[in-house]
Amino acid sequence: MSVPQPVLEIAGLRKSYKGHLSIGRREVIKGLDLTIQPGEVFGLLGQNGSGKTTTLKMILSLIFPDAGRISLFGTDYRSVAHRHRIGFLPENPWFYEYLTGREFLDFYGQLFGYGRAERSARAEAVLARVGMSDRAGLPLRKYSKGMLQRIGMAQALINDPEFVILDEPMSGLDPIGRREFRDIILDLKRRGRTIFFSSHILSDAEAICDRVGILKDGRIGVEGRLADLLSPAVRSWEVMYAGPPFAQLMSVAAGGDGGCQLLSDRGPESLVAVHDEKVLSKLLDSIRTQGGRLISVSARRETLEDLYVKEVSGR
Amino acid sequence: MKIMAIAANTFKEAIRDRILYLLLAFAILMIGASRLLSLMTVGSEEKIVKDIGLASIALFGVAVAIFVGVGLVFKEIEKRTVYTLVSKPIRRSQFILGKYCGLVLVLAVNLAVMTAVFYLVLIQRGWMDWRLTGAIWLTFIELMLVTAIAILFSSFSTPILSSLFTVTFFIIGHLSWGLRLMADKVEGVAAKFLCEFFYRVLPNLELLNMRGRAVHGLELPESQMAFATLYGLSYTAVLLALAVATFRRRDFL
Amino acid sequence: MLRALQRRLIWPLAIVVPACAAAWSWDRLESAGSQDGPGASVLYLPSGRYLKAASLGFPEVLADAIYIWSIQYYSNYTAADRFAYLDHIYSGVITELDPHYVDPYLIGSLIMSTEAGDHEMALRLLDKGIAANPHEWILPFEAGFTCYNDIKDFQRAAAYFEKAIANPEAPGAIRRMHAEMFNKLGDKRASLDYWLEVHETADDAYVEDISWRHVHDLRIEIDLQTLREALEAWKSSPRGAGQYPQSLLELVRAGVISREPIDPDGVAYAYDPATGQVRSASPFRLYRRGPA
Repeated sequence: MSVPQPVLEIAGLRKSYKGHLSIGRREVIKGLDLTIQPGEVFGLLGQNGSGKTTTLKMILSLIFPDAGRISLFGTDYRSVAHRHRIGFLPENPWFYEYLTGREFLDFYGQLFGYGRAERSARAEAVLARVGMSDRAGLPLRKYSKGMLQRIGMAQALINDPEFVILDEPMSGLDPIGRREFRDIILDLKRRGRTIFFSSHILSDAEAICDRVGILKDGRIGVEGRLADLLSPAVRSWEVMYAGPPFAQLMSVAAGGDGGCQLLSDRGPESLVAVHDEKVLSKLLDSIRTQGGRLISVSARRETLEDLYVKEVSGR
Repeated sequence: MKIMAIAANTFKEAIRDRILYLLLAFAILMIGASRLLSLMTVGSEEKIVKDIGLASIALFGVAVAIFVGVGLVFKEIEKRTVYTLVSKPIRRSQFILGKYCGLVLVLAVNLAVMTAVFYLVLIQRGWMDWRLTGAIWLTFIELMLVTAIAILFSSFSTPILSSLFTVTFFIIGHLSWGLRLMADKVEGVAAKFLCEFFYRVLPNLELLNMRGRAVHGLELPESQMAFATLYGLSYTAVLLALAVATFRRRDFL
Repeated sequence: MLRALQRRLIWPLAIVVPACAAAWSWDRLESAGSQDGPGASVLYLPSGRYLKAASLGFPEVLADAIYIWSIQYYSNYTAADRFAYLDHIYSGVITELDPHYVDPYLIGSLIMSTEAGDHEMALRLLDKGIAANPHEWILPFEAGFTCYNDIKDFQRAAAYFEKAIANPEAPGAIRRMHAEMFNKLGDKRASLDYWLEVHETADDAYVEDISWRHVHDLRIEIDLQTLREALEAWKSSPRGAGQYPQSLLELVRAGVISREPIDPDGVAYAYDPATGQVRSASPFRLYRRGPA
């Protein structure tokens, strides 16, 4: 059984930007390695300005790297033929204002070399997928941000690509839009497509990615399956109860010490965070003995946010 | 062909640019106003109307080439429409050439409209001289050249700088003979060489200027027309090649 | 209350006061500059050769504009010293920008001649025009006419008219003027030759008639001159011995003149042997000749 070829392979990628006139170069990507397998959803995470967009642009030959190797579908990434199998949605896309949605998709269809009938069919198909069929007759300059994002997704999918690259696809979308986009991405995954997207919204990444990579200092510092990255250990508990005030409980439970933290105090209910197992049992006892009513206890494990913050702000 | 698709798209985009209509209105105004102006003269009104007509066509053509042309490429990059375009299976060369062709199409339409208005004015007064078409044809070639300059600069520079550079080259193009004079008058082998060098290398737009001759009803010999056309088109080809070369290695930040 | 009033006044004042100041200063400037004539600063334009550079490939349009300006400027009689740059404007600027533009040569020379009274300047301008436009008959014609009418230099006028008639489109009247110049110069024989040419090539009745009249009168004048010379020669010769011959036939017999002199109408010349006066019996056809 042969190992399937990675869709994308990057090794030793470097890119620096020339500064303004006298101020020197700034190296943005300092030796980035990355591999994406077919059929997976990969999320590239990182702070603003960390170089996520730069990396994506290099894959698409919008920018040229200083050093390193990129290969798509096993061959050199610069071949124009690859572009038939790729779809790209840039961040904050902007399109020709005076064209209607349909005309726009038709124009892009021409760039793929599709005949008129095929262009029309494909355009209608993607418009239906992104939910824009009824508004495709409007000129693009009248589109809202959400509509632009959708038509952007439509043009990325018009050639039914195997590999879809999305730069901050959810930015500017309302909650319904985000749900719909998530569904589109998951649907693509179900059909066996490979998706590579960059984001700094962790909840999205958590919901749809198979693997993530965190871009920091020009390299991917942490990378892998979410399940593998996040420690399963319980980090803390959150206890919600009603009854005696916290201060009273504290003295009894912790022996005047830390280990407990009042998170919120809304009317009769209080929420307390506890980091130590022993302190937890003391607190639970204390609630019972003081005549309080336990409402809930929940365990908090490491989230992606925890991991991200830890990675990005330095150990 | 993919270049034609981009050209068609560029044409549609430029046609809806309001600057175009402003410039067209000015041109038509000028041609109309020339009739009024000619009332202030003693002697031949015909010459004045023809001079101003040809000058309007040329100057507004250059203005369109610069303002619309420079803006086109820059707008694509600024507004990031280029990102999705270049990620499709087209070469960058096709993109730039398509843009150029679209722009030339716009210029041709512009020129045709202005020429039609101009000719109508002339026919109405009985001053029509079909030899003017020769001068207008060479003006069109000149516009193609200037547009190529505009595209070249806008493939790597901001619109303001590109416009400035293009205007500068237009001016230099009409002052070529000044370089020749300088080459004669200046002293020193190096200086002379530089003057001669620039004289030959920089575009000599005066070679494409037969407007004065057409107005005076002088001969526009066919061989000269042919060579002028060849010069203009080949120089344009060189500029486009440079533009493609520059555009190919450009980072779209 | 006062504050409210202030606030309402401030905007109108902010517009009206500067507007008044601008209008008033504009008015003062206008009246100060008006003596110089409209657009007087154009007078100080550099020579056409440098302007050609500034015109960026549109020297003809610039020539048109400056020419139109010049018409307005020179129609205005209030400017002091308004002919100071006349030569510069027409010769140095307009015609340098567009040497083939004929109107400035004509109007310029007209202004120079008629208004400024400098005919030589006008002729220099026209010479420039002729050099640049050798096929335009009107330029040498204007020059010739200036020489004839203003300077009374018929020699130069004849030379100019000759240039003019070299162009087949030149009106016939110029050829007639050309022929008449020689008469004015006193070279009646040359005049006759040219008038004969006009007569031979005449294609309408008027020209045929008028040229015939000139030919007629010139023949008489030439004949009379020849006769007078012959008579004086006879008188002072040994044969005549201080006396005029009895009749003109004597001159013929002596071989002094080749045939009996008759005028173009076929009438013999009237000769008075006593005084030696010879006259034409037929009247002159052109009234200006006066009595023969």
